[in-house]
Amino acid sequence: MVQAVLKATSSLDSQRHARMEVLKEKVEEEEAAEREEAAERAERGEKTKRPMEVRRGETTMTQEMLRDLERKLSEIEVSVPEKILTFTKDTIDTSKLPLSYQSNTLKEEHLLQVADNFSRQYSHLCPDRVPLFLHPLNECEVPKFVSTTIRPTLMPYPELYNWDTCAQFISDFLSMVPLPDPLKPPLYLYSSTTVLKYQKGNCFDFSTLLCSMLIGAGYDAYCVNGYGSRDLCYMDLTREVCPLTMKPKETVKEEEKAPPKKYAIKPPRDLTSRFEQEQEMKRQEAIKAEEENRRKQEEARLLEQENAKTDPLHGLRVHSWVLVLSGKREVPESFFIDPFTARSYSTQDDHFLGIESLWNHKNYWVNMQDCWNCCKELVFDLGDPVRWEYLLLGTDKPFLSLTEEEDEGMNDDDDVENLGKEDEDKSFDMPPSWVEQIEISPEAFETRCPNGKKVIQYKRAKLEKWAPYLNNNGLVCRLTTYEDLELHSYKSMQPEMDRVMEFYETARVDGLIKREETPKTMTEYYHGRPDFLSYRHVNFGPRMKKLALNSAESNPRPMVKITERFFRNPAKPADEDVAERVFLIAEERIQLRYHCRSDHITANKREFLRRMEVDSKGNKIIMTPDMCISFEVEPMEHTKKLLYQYEAMMKLKNEEKLSRHQAWESELEVLEILKLREEEEEAHTLTISIYDTKRNEKSKEYREAMERVLHEEHLRQVEAQLDYLAPFLAQLPPGEKLTRWQAVRLKEECLNDFKQRLIDKANLIQARFEKETQELQKKQQWYQENQVTLTPEDEDLYLSYCSQAMFRIRILEQRLSRHKELAPLKYLALEEKLYKDPRLVELLKVFV
Amino acid sequence: MNRLYDMEPRVMDDEMLKLAVGEQGPREEAGQLAKQEGILFKDVLSLQLDFQNILRIDNLWQFESLQKLQLDNNIIEKIEGLENLTHLVWLDLSFNNIEAIEGLDTLVNLEDLSLFNNRISKIDSLDALVKLQVLSLGNNHIGNLMNVIYLRRFKALRTLSLSGNPVAEDEDYKMFICAYLPDLVYLDFRRLDDHMKELAEMKHQYSIDELKHRENLVQARLEDEQARREELEEHKAAFVEQLNGTFLFDSMYTEDVEGSKLSHLPGVGELLEAYKDKFVIICLNIFEYGLKQQEKRKAELDNFMECVQEAIQENQEQGKLKIAKFEEKHLLSLNAIREESELSNIEAKIVQYSEDITELFNVLMTLEMQLMEQLEETINMFERNIIDLVGLFVENVQSLMAQCRDLENHHHEKLLEIAINILEKIVKGEMDEDLPDDVRSLFVDKDTIVNAVGASHDIHLLKIDNREDELVTRVNSWCTHLLDKIHKDEIMRNRKRVKEINQYIDHVQSELDSLECGDLLD
Repeated sequence: MVQAVLKATSSLDSQRHARMEVLKEKVEEEEAAEREEAAERAERGEKTKRPMEVRRGETTMTQEMLRDLERKLSEIEVSVPEKILTFTKDTIDTSKLPLSYQSNTLKEEHLLQVADNFSRQYSHLCPDRVPLFLHPLNECEVPKFVSTTIRPTLMPYPELYNWDTCAQFISDFLSMVPLPDPLKPPLYLYSSTTVLKYQKGNCFDFSTLLCSMLIGAGYDAYCVNGYGSRDLCYMDLTREVCPLTMKPKETVKEEEKAPPKKYAIKPPRDLTSRFEQEQEMKRQEAIKAEEENRRKQEEARLLEQENAKTDPLHGLRVHSWVLVLSGKREVPESFFIDPFTARSYSTQDDHFLGIESLWNHKNYWVNMQDCWNCCKELVFDLGDPVRWEYLLLGTDKPFLSLTEEEDEGMNDDDDVENLGKEDEDKSFDMPPSWVEQIEISPEAFETRCPNGKKVIQYKRAKLEKWAPYLNNNGLVCRLTTYEDLELHSYKSMQPEMDRVMEFYETARVDGLIKREETPKTMTEYYHGRPDFLSYRHVNFGPRMKKLALNSAESNPRPMVKITERFFRNPAKPADEDVAERVFLIAEERIQLRYHCRSDHITANKREFLRRMEVDSKGNKIIMTPDMCISFEVEPMEHTKKLLYQYEAMMKLKNEEKLSRHQAWESELEVLEILKLREEEEEAHTLTISIYDTKRNEKSKEYREAMERVLHEEHLRQVEAQLDYLAPFLAQLPPGEKLTRWQAVRLKEECLNDFKQRLIDKANLIQARFEKETQELQKKQQWYQENQVTLTPEDEDLYLSYCSQAMFRIRILEQRLSRHKELAPLKYLALEEKLYKDPRLVELLKVFV
Repeated sequence: MNRLYDMEPRVMDDEMLKLAVGEQGPREEAGQLAKQEGILFKDVLSLQLDFQNILRIDNLWQFESLQKLQLDNNIIEKIEGLENLTHLVWLDLSFNNIEAIEGLDTLVNLEDLSLFNNRISKIDSLDALVKLQVLSLGNNHIGNLMNVIYLRRFKALRTLSLSGNPVAEDEDYKMFICAYLPDLVYLDFRRLDDHMKELAEMKHQYSIDELKHRENLVQARLEDEQARREELEEHKAAFVEQLNGTFLFDSMYTEDVEGSKLSHLPGVGELLEAYKDKFVIICLNIFEYGLKQQEKRKAELDNFMECVQEAIQENQEQGKLKIAKFEEKHLLSLNAIREESELSNIEAKIVQYSEDITELFNVLMTLEMQLMEQLEETINMFERNIIDLVGLFVENVQSLMAQCRDLENHHHEKLLEIAINILEKIVKGEMDEDLPDDVRSLFVDKDTIVNAVGASHDIHLLKIDNREDELVTRVNSWCTHLLDKIHKDEIMRNRKRVKEINQYIDHVQSELDSLECGDLLD
């Protein structure tokens, strides 16, 4: 069959060759190096060693590239071998796996033969192409055909019904292990059972699992074996923008211009020279162009920096992902899913560099199209044997679009040739999967990520996810965004660092809205204060060294400058209403700027120098005109007076003190808030839904109690159903009807037996009672004898023993008397019951 | 009172006031400064002149901004000389010999008035004190409890003392005051509790209700009058006041003796009635047209003002921006100059800085010149439009008034006809009806009656002409005044702005100069 198909498509060999050649071109040098190195590796038998290590010096790389590569290499080497070591088949416990894992059925054997045959023909026809990825070994060292490794399963969780959430789950649930050899498909392909158990896998494991689930959910999904970019293969998202940080673009509303009014003034006459304008324009344009140029260069440089130096193995890195074809589940257009990141890509995306083959649970197709332009020109019409070479014929073949006449003619030919083999082999279809049903326990489903934690590095962002209830503060997701690409430390809870606090102004007496802090400044914004303060900015100086060590607790930073701004106070005229005052504490200077009157363009200003001076006679100069420099738009008489200025200055001095105090209090408040926040953050208690019976303590108790009650109820029922006649009936020959005599004897025996048991029980209680009493007497005797020599502890022991013994004796006494009371009643009750027993009732009634 | 007679009464002279001001002025360091500079009476806020044996309040006119004045324990007999102290909030005239409350009509800001221990017998003349909160009238001669009702008009009054008056001995004294002054909180320095107030209210409910009713009526009447006055003002502003009725028509006949006599003639009554109807309709037309035109003018004016304001605002914003930018730079350059040590550099920087100042000056002045030109253009446009509007209004009113005149002429002719007919009848002796004697006396001969009718006609025409003239002159003068004001305001604005700019530049320049001086000294 395969041969026939290949024959039919052999006309396309040239095309196939062309593709191979392209690939080859791409490879050339690298591949040569690769082979050499592979040989070396084979010699050493090192499976896990990365090929790049040996590449140094072979290609003409700049020193920088080399260093970069080295860095990358070291990065990879830190993580990779470790992971691989922990996930080779040695670490997998295969003993508990079912038989289907450990051996092949006849049908599977047959399939393997078919596959081998196909592979041979393929390598014959396309000697340049890489051998097909058909039947890797599973965890039990048994070769299994890839299609049978897919086990379509519909998961019981509604969240896994759609492809996006499903892929997201798998990407979270499994941790990624790179391929042992990035240039070759793996030798092993484990079952999803194992992959889920160890929560680890390479891209093939990921896509097999995802494919199983998607097919189970009704998607037309395929595993793809192909070539991906470096980022894709290493799940490197550091060059991608985090989807959470993308914001919808805000629509900018254009303000409607009001129609000009009747008396609107005309714009000033334009007196500038047109020529000059043009010259200026030209000049500006030149500058702009230059700037643009520079900017572009800069951008290109940045881009280059950001985009890693071109990957030397570009186009050779093997990757596996999932293809979802349109048609089923209302998928409008075919797309790729990268199982590592759970992101969907268009089939044209740059990250996907080529496809070797793809398969689902029913069939296997080899790509016969040229991938010179990545996957951009691939047609995913799997029914087209020219483009896609299939392994098995006829098994639910995807549609073939027959749109063109030519195609039809060609296909007719194919059909003629295909006719014979269809008869021959149509009966053969893909054997059922050897993998067990995919199962994910609810716990595992909820925990999601391995150990419940996952960190993804995006470009300028870090996304951390945790399983619910893993963190006791309830944190499940944290997105950290960075301004640049460097690493950062995060110190929000430390005082005197960059921080913005926002407040509800209505909840605060002082009307504080926002407080911004940087290491050297503190800015506060107010609203709705009776003193109209709107803004306070404090500059701090460096902290002075403490002279006295003993009072180490508070050493506030000295304030250098306080700037305060005020809203307009409507009760005051504008030129007496301070708009801004600046206390330059270090310089002993106070600057005032007043509000601007509505018909003015300048505002009053005043500056006070607080310097105290002494005149030639040694008298203190209280106030001199040069201590207050003021500018007044409309000079007023009274403000010229020294007395006025002096009083104003005294008032300001007081206010400066107040402002300093307030700033100091703000600092204290910050400390307090931080402390409080810290305490709050430590003292998280999560409210757990009462339906979550596993985590909610009360619900848990309640449920356990319910279960206990049910269990007891059950026991009681079992007891109630206990057949007291059974042991006696068993003595009789089975299947025979009871005679009257037998019935009477049965009854007698049963009653006697019960009587005996009652007596035994009474005796038992009696015996225990006597034993306890004797022991107590003995003890008492011992006490009597040794009373003098006893330590207080011993005496205490003795006393506690006595009281306990007395208690036991009393209880036994009570039990005995109760038993004596109840025994006759029980006896009578049994007799009554026996009389009514349906098996005896007939016989006994007659007898009575 | 013997305490007062053992000393000579003193005169409130300059010396005494200076002394008091000096003693009560600021202390310590501020006091030294005050002494250095001297304190002007008009800056004094508080003055204490107790136990000075003052007989007559005098020489206080300079204390314009005084807020608190204590004149207690003197021998003042008459409240006077306080007219200028309009900022007064606190006035103490206790322990004097005042007999009547007077001379407080200008003290609208007064909140606390003490007239304790005087000889006042009637609460009166406090109407101007709308902000009064505390009134102390204890130890006086007030004898009529009903006098307290006078205090109901002070809505802010919370504290009252009347103890030591004859009224306080009335057994109903407290209840009465409680009932009639329900907003009072303290009486004779004691708090009035709610229980007391309730009791008092119940006791005097009837009389108070009646009083309230009366007060409400008065209030309503006042409001009505106010509304009417406002309406009339509005009509006046439209120059068509009292044209919305028969006022003009009636006024034509008030001074017209002959006309009223003639109206008794048979047939004239109906004629007059018809004439009046038509006349009033035209008047109404004028009135409505006037209101409409007024609205139009107002809208025009508002529009204009708004645009001018916007233009000015925008210009100011630009100016402010320029200044703000300059100031930013200014601070930097001042500091730079201060810190610079190289002399040549200093000079260069100073030169640079003064260039900046000149630049700012030029920019600001250009802005202002620009605005001025723009506004001038707009104002001229407005002027044209408003003059057109007024012209149109006058023209239309005149044509309507001409209609009035036509009516009058028509009426005159008819009247003349009737009068001549009657005269003929009388002459022929065919007159059946009796005419009043004074009317009959007109029908002596043709000349007399024609003259009489003519005189009436002339008076009517004169009235109409007068009204027309009044309207036209007023609207024209309004127009010229408005335009004058707009021009003047603009000129004022311009001058103020130029002055402001100059001042600012001077200030900045002087700052630079002082820096230079300082540097030179260094």
